[in-house]
Amino acid sequence: MTEQEDRYSRQVLFAPIGDEGQSKLANGAVCIVGMGALGTVLASHMVRAGVGRVRLIDRDYVESSNLQRQMLYDEDDAAQSLPKVVASENKLKKINSDVTLEKVFADVTPGNAESLLKGMDLVLDGTDNFQTRFLLNDACYSAGIPFIYGGAVGSRGMSAVFVPGSTPCLRCLIPSADSGGETCDTVGVISPVVDIVASYQSVEALKWLVGDRESRRETLLSFDVWNNRLHELKPVPAKPDCPCCGLKTYPALRREEETLLSLCGRESIQIAGHAPFDLAIWAEKLAPATRTVKANPYLIRAELAEGGRLVLFEDGRVLVQGTDDPVRARSLYARYIGN
Amino acid sequence: MAELTINGSRKELDADTLADVVELLGLGGRPVVAEVNGEVVASEKWAETQVESGMKIELVHFVGGG
Ligand SMILES: [Zn+2]
Repeated sequence: MTEQEDRYSRQVLFAPIGDEGQSKLANGAVCIVGMGALGTVLASHMVRAGVGRVRLIDRDYVESSNLQRQMLYDEDDAAQSLPKVVASENKLKKINSDVTLEKVFADVTPGNAESLLKGMDLVLDGTDNFQTRFLLNDACYSAGIPFIYGGAVGSRGMSAVFVPGSTPCLRCLIPSADSGGETCDTVGVISPVVDIVASYQSVEALKWLVGDRESRRETLLSFDVWNNRLHELKPVPAKPDCPCCGLKTYPALRREEETLLSLCGRESIQIAGHAPFDLAIWAEKLAPATRTVKANPYLIRAELAEGGRLVLFEDGRVLVQGTDDPVRARSLYARYIGN
Repeated sequence: MAELTINGSRKELDADTLADVVELLGLGGRPVVAEVNGEVVASEKWAETQVESGMKIELVHFVGGG
């Protein structure tokens, strides 16, 4: 037995996958959007299972508050403020060097969503907000790529499979991107529930990639692991006037690019639209106004002497941290970065 | 008063319609899918859906974290 055969032997023994399924996995391409708690579990399953290409997309860097549940990261990653996609790639390539990893350190936006998803067989939801989910929903239905939703908060989790041309979409179930204020940053989340959600998503991903359409879960699964409840919602009919799967206008793809984005509950506001930063030059520029400047090849974290923190990313994004107030964020931005 | 089973727990609510139930539970305006006795009821029909004692209601509140 070659090392390659040995690696996947248990999975190949599982009849619904078998040798044929394994080679389909090897030819598969999966995109994981968001490398937080869901994304790290999704990536681990996909990479260990031998999916040929795994694209990882995330805009954020590792912080110590991530370590409780984001299973690919460690204390060193947080100390270095490494981008999550970089820290993930470091771990994943040690887990399975056969997999082609494509890391993208960026925000998914209406402008880049379609090109980021191009050539993918599946999109796995690792995001933490409905705005990005609606964007992925529209981009996937427009491109004909299945989208596997997952979400968790507190001890509750949900998952569903959305297949263009065959099932209704996320918009058919919920009309707006308003989460109603319940997020991981306001009511918390426990690690097991996210693992469970991402594992359900991963099972559906494996079924899809090996071509087992009959076994696809058609219900929307919803559970509360603390209060011992599990519910399956029967599929609802597609809405004929759904702007995505009915009318095919895909509104999230047509949305104006927003330059200002509040990262929910984290006292962080992202401002995009600056040209790419030369980080070495900006570290020097910011030094006089800051208590400490921490830099790595991907970003600078500047603790401002007046309070608050600016994080500059190579691609031109800036996070203003220590405030939830857009006006204050704009003013710090204008003062230190310019207009 | 209607005696309802909501997400597996018995609750007495002063509600006439499904819209009242959603409102009383503080889920108005949130991403919720409602199921009454095993059948999904579209949100446009909540206000005209009468609730009565003994109904089993499932309110699936979409979660957005990850
Ligand atoms: Zn739809």
